[in-house]
Amino acid sequence: MCGIIGFLDKAAAGQAPVGKTVLTMLDALACRGPDSAGVALYSPPSRRRSVLRVKLGENGEFELRREGIAARVQDLGEILDISTTDEYLRLELDYQGDAARLSALIESEAADVEVVSLGNALEIVKQVGSPQNLEETHGVSRITGTHGIGHTRLSTESKVDLSHSQPFWAHGVPDLAVVHNGHITNYHNLRRRYEQHGIRFYTDNDSEVIGVYLADRLAQGMSLREALDASLYDLDGSFSYLAATQNELGFAKDRFALKPLLFTETDDTVVVATEEIAIESAFPGIGGVREAQAKEVQVWQLN
Amino acid sequence: MAVELDCAGKSIREINTAIKQAIAAGESDVLVRNPGARHNLGVALLEPATVTFDGSVGYFCGGLMDGATVQIEGSTGWGLAESMLSGTVVVHGSAGNGAAATIRGGTVVIHRHAAARAGVAMKGGLLLIGGNCGYMAGFMGQRGAIVVCGDVGEAFADSMYETVCYVGGKIEDLGNDAVIADLTNDDAAYLEASFAEHLPDRLTELQARLKEFKKVQSGRRLWNFDKTDWEVWQQVV
Repeated sequence: MCGIIGFLDKAAAGQAPVGKTVLTMLDALACRGPDSAGVALYSPPSRRRSVLRVKLGENGEFELRREGIAARVQDLGEILDISTTDEYLRLELDYQGDAARLSALIESEAADVEVVSLGNALEIVKQVGSPQNLEETHGVSRITGTHGIGHTRLSTESKVDLSHSQPFWAHGVPDLAVVHNGHITNYHNLRRRYEQHGIRFYTDNDSEVIGVYLADRLAQGMSLREALDASLYDLDGSFSYLAATQNELGFAKDRFALKPLLFTETDDTVVVATEEIAIESAFPGIGGVREAQAKEVQVWQLN
Repeated sequence: MAVELDCAGKSIREINTAIKQAIAAGESDVLVRNPGARHNLGVALLEPATVTFDGSVGYFCGGLMDGATVQIEGSTGWGLAESMLSGTVVVHGSAGNGAAATIRGGTVVIHRHAAARAGVAMKGGLLLIGGNCGYMAGFMGQRGAIVVCGDVGEAFADSMYETVCYVGGKIEDLGNDAVIADLTNDDAAYLEASFAEHLPDRLTELQARLKEFKKVQSGRRLWNFDKTDWEVWQQVV
C-alpha cells in the first residue's frame, strides 16, 4: 500500500496554500498508510538562505544537541532563525556553500542526528502517525509555497520511525526529495554498489535508494526527466514514485504498472495521487483525471 | 424523475444499501451525488435499473453486476465492472487498471482512456474504449470483443483464446500469439453498430475511420502444445 501525492501550483507565484493542499490530499490516503506521514514542501527559493530540518536524535537531550549544532554551524554563516519542535530542529542559515559539507558538520554532533532536509526551497516534515498528527505537531497547513509531495506509509520491509518515513531527501543534494509507493527489488544490489562508492545510507528502507539513484544520475548531467526515464530500466520491482526539485515535479511508473498513480493538469495546477479520492478531496470536480500508463514519466516545471 | 442519494457522510455500505433499497422499491433511475472517488460503489447490482454517479468513483465500481446500467460522469479507479455478468457500464472520463477484467457479458464503454490490463480474461461482452489503452489489454481473453478507438500499449492481446480486438490507432506491440486479421464486412458492420449505439456523438468521425481499424485475434499456436512449436513456447514461458 502506501499513498503518495504531489501538487504544483502555476498561478499563485509562490503563495499557494501548499501545506493545506498537500495535507488535505494526504489525509484522504491516511488509510493506505497508518504507520507514518510526511510532506516535502517547497517555497520560493532564497539564494542566500539555506533551510534545514534536522532530527536531533532518539533519546531526549534535544536542547543540548540544538546548542551543539548551533555552535558548529555559526562559523559557516549567520543563523537567521532557529526553532525546535519535539525532536525536530528547524534552522535557517546564511549559507550557500556545499550542502554535503554542512550536512556532515551537523551530523558529526552525534550518531543519531540526521539532516532530514536541506535546500533553498525545500522543507521536509515527517513523523510516525497519521497526517492529522503531523498537522497537530508541526502546523503543516500554514506553510505556503510553490509545490509539494507527501507520503503515508504502510511499512512492509523496514522499521517504523522518523528516519524510515518518507519523503526522503537525497542526502547531500539540495532540494531533491522523493516519495515512493512500491518495492525496489534490486535494492540490495544498488545499495552495495553505491556503498562501494562511499555513499552513506541512513535507513534500511528500499525507497531511500531512489533518491540516491536520482542524485547520481543528476550528477552525471542528466535532466530530471532523463533520470526518471532511465530509472524505469535501472530500478526493478513495483513503483510509482514522485520526485521534486526546486522548480520541478515529476513521476515515474514501473514497466508493469503494478502500483496506482493518477494525475490531472489544469491551467493553474498539477495534481498527482495514488487514488483519485485524494484529488477529489482537495479539488472537488477538477476533472480530466487519468491513470498513468506503464513506463509513463511526466515532469512539470514551475513557470 | 430520478431518486437522489447523497454520499456525503455515509459509509460505502450505507450508500450501496440505499441504492439497492431504492431499486427494490421500484425506482428505475437512481442519481448518486458526491461519490468522491470512493471504492466499491454500485457493486452487485442485480436489477435492470440505471444508477448514475455524478462524479468520479474509486475501485471496483459496477463489479459483480447483472443487468443494471451504471453511468459514471467522472473517472474510475481499478477493476471497473470486474466480473460483470450482464448490463452496461459507461464511464465519461478515464478508467484505471484492469477495467472490465473477466467480464462474462454486458458492455463497458470508456469515453476517454483506459490504463493497464484492460479487458483481461474476458469471457464475453464488449469493452469499448474511446481513447487509448495501456499495457497488456486483452491478456488471455476467452470470448467477447475489445474495441479501442485510439492507440494500444505493449503486449496487446497476449495469449488470447477467442476474444476479438479492434484497434483504430497505433499498436505499440502485439503480445504472444496475437495476429492481425483482415477486417471483414461483418466486422465493419459490428463496429459501426457499436459506435452508433455507444458513441453516437462520434459516429461520423468513427465511420470515416472505419477502414483504419485493425482486427487482432489469436494465432491459435498456443492453444495446444506441439513440439514443432517449441520456439513459440520458449518465448512465452
